[in-house]
Amino acid sequence: MTPPDRPPEDMEDIDPGLARERTELAWSRTGISFAALGAAVLKEIPVAGALVLAMSALIFLLGHRARPSRRVGGHDRKRHVLLVTVAVAAISVIALALALFAGTSPAPPH
Amino acid sequence: MTRTSPHQTRPSGQAPEESTVETEPDARFTFANERTFLAWNRTALALVVAGLAIVQLLPPFPGLPWGRHLLAVPLIVSGAVLSVGSFAEWRRNQRALRRGERLPRSMLPRALAACIAVIAIAAALLVLLSATRN
Repeated sequence: MTPPDRPPEDMEDIDPGLARERTELAWSRTGISFAALGAAVLKEIPVAGALVLAMSALIFLLGHRARPSRRVGGHDRKRHVLLVTVAVAAISVIALALALFAGTSPAPPH
Repeated sequence: MTRTSPHQTRPSGQAPEESTVETEPDARFTFANERTFLAWNRTALALVVAGLAIVQLLPPFPGLPWGRHLLAVPLIVSGAVLSVGSFAEWRRNQRALRRGERLPRSMLPRALAACIAVIAIAAALLVLLSATRN
């Protein structure tokens, strides 16, 4: 049922420069980074670690919504971008609290 | 490249000098801006992880019990600053793209390089100091 003058499923036609696909992959990488950090926090503060892991899953899913089928125009996604910023800032606060107040690995000798 | 987006060309009736006219930029530019933002945030996360790892995994510097915190706290704080800064930059770039202006100069690479250089020098000094006290 595809028109004969145009090959079907040519990604370059749907997605010039594969920009959407690359952006989706960038979101996946960011989600994986979050997951790595979540696993590190999980050891010390399980609740915060679980939150960070949930955030990594959310970011992974947000990335999948950058796909051509779901995102037709090039409209910016300010809320999604803001969510990542807030998440990274919150994680920094958690990490700072961990660094300052949680027990550091072997107790420093006096 | 003959492939152009219909959004890229301005409506012909408008004066090109009018810099406050906002049009939706080419989708590829929007995506590229988003990817740049995400890359900065991964960098910020890496700084936070490095700071956490220094405190949690590294044995203390002999004779310098505050040494690890001296490295970890700036790393974590710079991660937070980098994340917020990259959001501000994303918004500025998006506005410039909508208005068809030049992209503003980015301060983030300079800030990151300065941060890493200062922390690396501090780490080297700590290593030397702890070696002399041992």
